[in-house]
Amino acid sequence: MSSMPTEQTNPEAWLKTKDSELYINPLPVRIWHWLNALGFVALILTGTHIRYQDKFNLMTFETAVKTHNWVAFAVMANYLVWLGFYLFSDRITNYHPELNMKKFFDKAFAQIMYYSYGIFKGEKSPHKVVPYDKFNPMQSITYQIVMLLVVPIQFATGLMMWDVKRFEGVIAMLGGLEVVNTIHVLIYIFFVSFTMIHAYMGALGHTPVTHFREMFTGYEEEH
Amino acid sequence: MLVRNFKGNTRAALPVFIMLIAFCMLSGGAVYAAQAEQPAANAKAAAVEAQEEAKTGAEANAAVTAEEDEAAKDAVAARLEEIQKKNKRCLMCHSREKTKLLENGKEMSLQVPKEAYLDSAHGAISCVSCHKAIGKIKHPSKSTNISIASEREFSVELNESCRKCHLQKYKQYKGSVHYALVQQGNEKAPVCSSCHNPHAPVSMANFQAETGLPCKNCHENIYNAYTASVHGQARLHGNTIRDSHIQAPICSDCHHSHEITALAIGDVLRTTCIACHENVTLLHNQWLPNAGTHLDIVSCAVCHAPFAKRTFDLHLYDNTAGVPLAMKEGDAPIQEQLQAIASEGGTGDPLEIWKSRYGVDKAVDISLRSRMEVMSGVAAHQIASKSFAVRTCESCHEPGWRQKQNVTLTITTPEGMKQSFEADREVLSSVKAAESISDFYALGGNPNKILDILLLLSLAAGIAVPIGHFTLGKMIREYMERGER
Repeated sequence: MSSMPTEQTNPEAWLKTKDSELYINPLPVRIWHWLNALGFVALILTGTHIRYQDKFNLMTFETAVKTHNWVAFAVMANYLVWLGFYLFSDRITNYHPELNMKKFFDKAFAQIMYYSYGIFKGEKSPHKVVPYDKFNPMQSITYQIVMLLVVPIQFATGLMMWDVKRFEGVIAMLGGLEVVNTIHVLIYIFFVSFTMIHAYMGALGHTPVTHFREMFTGYEEEH
Repeated sequence: MLVRNFKGNTRAALPVFIMLIAFCMLSGGAVYAAQAEQPAANAKAAAVEAQEEAKTGAEANAAVTAEEDEAAKDAVAARLEEIQKKNKRCLMCHSREKTKLLENGKEMSLQVPKEAYLDSAHGAISCVSCHKAIGKIKHPSKSTNISIASEREFSVELNESCRKCHLQKYKQYKGSVHYALVQQGNEKAPVCSSCHNPHAPVSMANFQAETGLPCKNCHENIYNAYTASVHGQARLHGNTIRDSHIQAPICSDCHHSHEITALAIGDVLRTTCIACHENVTLLHNQWLPNAGTHLDIVSCAVCHAPFAKRTFDLHLYDNTAGVPLAMKEGDAPIQEQLQAIASEGGTGDPLEIWKSRYGVDKAVDISLRSRMEVMSGVAAHQIASKSFAVRTCESCHEPGWRQKQNVTLTITTPEGMKQSFEADREVLSSVKAAESISDFYALGGNPNKILDILLLLSLAAGIAVPIGHFTLGKMIREYMERGER
């Protein structure tokens, strides 16, 4: 691969040639990711407005609630794009490339060490991003928990509050509206820092734009 | 009257009955004819015969009925004449200004408006059929006096005499708050004669509803609130709502006339409003998130009487019966109990205090329910035009909302009235009461300091982690570079 043109040696050829690059994120994943990102930002902003509407004056409570509801439904539909894609694509291996606990923990530890020290010394990430194994073990476990547990809980609690009367039985079973809302708010609180840290870590690729570019074009330069 | 009606009905029913027999015979004959495969002519002949027979029978019967009817009419007329003759004898004296000294020292008028009485429906009823005491003894004189404690007592006593003819209305009245209050000895609660002049009764259709009478006599403040409301204004000006065929409501349209109940208890009010405003749920659904829940727990007037004082109303609810828990007859001084509970609620769970104080049967499945209500009955009638209704969600959904609310504890009294007492606001933020009032939750209106702190921490982490990591990296690189040099 060393014979391939690089950005530095021949920028034009580098842009045109896909041979040196790996197709990491197919179109459905990219569509889902960016719609989801927009949705999350909108939900966090409107959610904050709903909860602390005395401190913000961007919109009325009514507008905040209605926007929150519409965006939430869009995000839920978008979630199906993600779920559908991975259920019917062999790229699902991204989430569980190898079912070996020892290997997983070793790799996870190596990854932690990399982010807390190695990266500063200019070391290479211990995980090599390839199309069917794009996540490092920390990403793999975090995204699985987020996408298969946290996000569905957020959808469920949100739906319950969207139509309290329809779901009053479930709400009562869970201990009332306050419990449901508290769960929803706790997850919102988690997503506030998650979104910010996620964006920062996106800049920790080979170059600061590597991962962003990868999420827009689908391709990542092979390092 | 009853006799005449009955006869009239029988007479009207007879030809129908006869025709029915003829029809049966006709159809029977036709079926028989078909079954026996006989010529159709035979069946036709049989049917004609049957029709003729029926006709003859009907004529004969009609002649008999007419005779009976005539006789009954004569009897009724004779009886009426007799009654009126007797009544006129009473009216010889009682049409004049006469008074009776009562035991309470006051004087009661014994004068009956002669013309109005004789022209009224009651003019055909003998005086003594209501004034039984007079009928049983000789007319009171100096030697046979009928002692009457007070005019009120006399009215309450005579109330029973209405039942004989107006049984259905009387039954409705008996189930009302008014009757319950009369039974309790309330001096002001209305008896029949408080609204209907027994000597000059008029049909309710002739009541000048717009004047608010008779309700206004006791409920003047509420009537005034009503006249200023969208309902009152519509009724007074043109009588209809937005040129529709529906008349704007007067008192009895919502409260009924005889089976008066307190509307503010449970779902009664909402059901009453929806009876006319049928598409309420649909209209609210068009813009109001969680419209169903809002309609369940926010009383209509809370938003539609925009200037009314609101309250977070707590009441005990009997989950088994599905109705608000009502106190039983003879329960220990409700007022004192409630006031004590209301004032103690600030530090505890009103439900528990209520149970222990009031001794509610533990076997009954009760919970504390809460609703947004307006503070007073007057406020509940100050319904404004739709364009003035509160649409600012923030008036409830704002942080600290619970702390700003008036809180009331409400119970249904044995006579079916709603009685509310102001409670300590603290009850809504009391940890002990949290479970009891957990069914009421206003989104955005329930601050939780722990969650606020967690959010700030999360935000801080979102900022600090990238900055910290970036700075640390920079420092390490610089350090290493220095080391290399």
